[in-house]
Amino acid sequence: MSTTETARAVEQQAAGNSFLVDVWITLKRWLRKAVRNSSVVFEALITPFVFLILFTQVFGQLAGGPIQELFGADVTYVTFLTPSIVILSAMVVATHSGMGLIDDMNSGMFDKILVSPTHRGAMFLGKALADMIRIIIETGMILVLGYVLLWIDSGGSVGTYIQTGLGGVLGVFAIVVVFALWFTAFSNIAALVTQDATSAAIWAYLVQYPLFFASSAFVPISVLPKWMQLVATINPITYGVDAVRALMLGQDVLTVIDVTAFSGIWNTVVPAVIVLGVFNLVFGGIAVFLLRRVASSRVS
Amino acid sequence: MSAETTERRKASSTAITARNVELTYSDGTRAVRDIDLDIPQGEFFGFLGPNGAGKTTAIKTFVTLLQPTAGSVTVNGFDVGEDPRAVRSSIGYMAQETSVDEELTARENIQYACEIYGVPRSGRVERIDDLLALVDLADVADKQPSGFSGGMKKRLDVATALVHEPPLVFLDEPTTGLDPRARLCLWEHFREINEQGTTMFLTTQYLEEADELCDRLSVIQNGQLIATDSPNALKSQVGGDILGITLEDPTAEQRAHAQRVVRESGLFEEDTIEPTDEGVAIASEHARREGTDLLVALREAGFTVTGFDVRSPTLDDVFLAITGETASEETADEDQPDDTVQTAVSR
Repeated sequence: MSTTETARAVEQQAAGNSFLVDVWITLKRWLRKAVRNSSVVFEALITPFVFLILFTQVFGQLAGGPIQELFGADVTYVTFLTPSIVILSAMVVATHSGMGLIDDMNSGMFDKILVSPTHRGAMFLGKALADMIRIIIETGMILVLGYVLLWIDSGGSVGTYIQTGLGGVLGVFAIVVVFALWFTAFSNIAALVTQDATSAAIWAYLVQYPLFFASSAFVPISVLPKWMQLVATINPITYGVDAVRALMLGQDVLTVIDVTAFSGIWNTVVPAVIVLGVFNLVFGGIAVFLLRRVASSRVS
Repeated sequence: MSAETTERRKASSTAITARNVELTYSDGTRAVRDIDLDIPQGEFFGFLGPNGAGKTTAIKTFVTLLQPTAGSVTVNGFDVGEDPRAVRSSIGYMAQETSVDEELTARENIQYACEIYGVPRSGRVERIDDLLALVDLADVADKQPSGFSGGMKKRLDVATALVHEPPLVFLDEPTTGLDPRARLCLWEHFREINEQGTTMFLTTQYLEEADELCDRLSVIQNGQLIATDSPNALKSQVGGDILGITLEDPTAEQRAHAQRVVRESGLFEEDTIEPTDEGVAIASEHARREGTDLLVALREAGFTVTGFDVRSPTLDDVFLAITGETASEETADEDQPDDTVQTAVSR
């Protein structure tokens, strides 16, 4: 029997899936793993929850007055802080993305999938989509918790909590995804460079927490020292937080750069999305380069 | 698998053709050198060699994980460089380190494998049940493998490599680190799969394993194939079983004297007799039968024998016979996964 006949016999046996089916299969696997691994889900929520509750309870009285002066009478520290916590929770989930990649490499699942006919791109796209779905779900939970805190504190209405209504909520989800991409890419870069889950997590924390304080997340930019204001200007967290905050407070809150070309909240949202898009291109590009290298069969 | 496809595969030419395959890592390590190989469909073939001999690197070039630096590999009629996806669809691969997703149940692991290999949805449920039964995991199908023993995880790994009924399965040191019972159990499964017409490609450090399973095997050393033959033919190069005598006072003179006595006893006229650190060793087809007579002969010559053993030839003996050096002299820096499997097992 010739090799072509052998090949034909083989072809009857197995054919790979289309690219989209591979994306869907990968997505399902990662979501299933996330649900199964309840400690990861819990961990991803606990830090943002603790931050939101402690910060509002400890600093709420102190910061409440100045916040009201800056943003208006119906803005409390809870409504000011919730957008930051939404961004924080997205970063925690993004940190886990790189750790999941390391787990797959250490458990041999990564090679196992590389030996299968799964499309290389689908392997990574499906996983990224699963991460984004987790981020959207956790964002929803933070938004609910924020409102519960507001209601307990001051009995504020949903209307004062999210000024732009249902469209604003959808906008928040969209902004969080746009924001999370660069940090998801960063966490995967850290994972591929360090090849170690603990080191990758340390990289992520080292970037995450200093950048959070040097941004508009916890206090208005104007009260930060000059050098921190400078850091805040080139800090993607500022843009992520301000875009979510603009949607929730229904006003232009971006102060690190002065944009007036649009109207109202768009003076914050449009420049923020552009800046975040640049970060996504840079970090996403590096991550894709490294992922392609690790998935390639070329000897290194 | 139908009898007809089985028949066709058995009758066909080659599952793997390798021509002048070289693989050099960027640090200059020549892990695989000039490998030439033709493995017919249906054969149970093995690579036998010590850690670092290049077994894992070679298998990784066959399964498209590594691109050969030079030469060509054709698997099931597809070129690994030109048509890697067709190769991947047509093979099953079990890596040296056990590769299962511990967050998914045994059933979900197999189901995921079915999905990525595009096993038709219609037959999937039965296929999964059949595989669970084949590897004796049906009663723990809905448990997560984190609580499984090393052998159970390996069996689950085997099942996931078989979902698409590949005509060719690669097993990279499938039993390293397993206890003897788990090893026997896996051997049974491998034989069963091979009997259904599947070509099997195995790497191992154990002659016993290659002997037990393989129709043919290649001895690999420093990335080169130094002998390819049936296990019996290779073992016959050693000259039979090894009979070791330990003397109470093994000075050089005593050992030489003992060697002479053995030679003159007439028991092992055609066999290799060599002095060892402890006394003397004989490689002979009838080592087991003549052992007691030899002891008597030695006692009559005035020797005090403190140790006596007869064993089958090991990888070391085969290596010694073929290359003149022992397998364990090799360094283990080429096949890096050898270390990872150790940690995976001890975990």
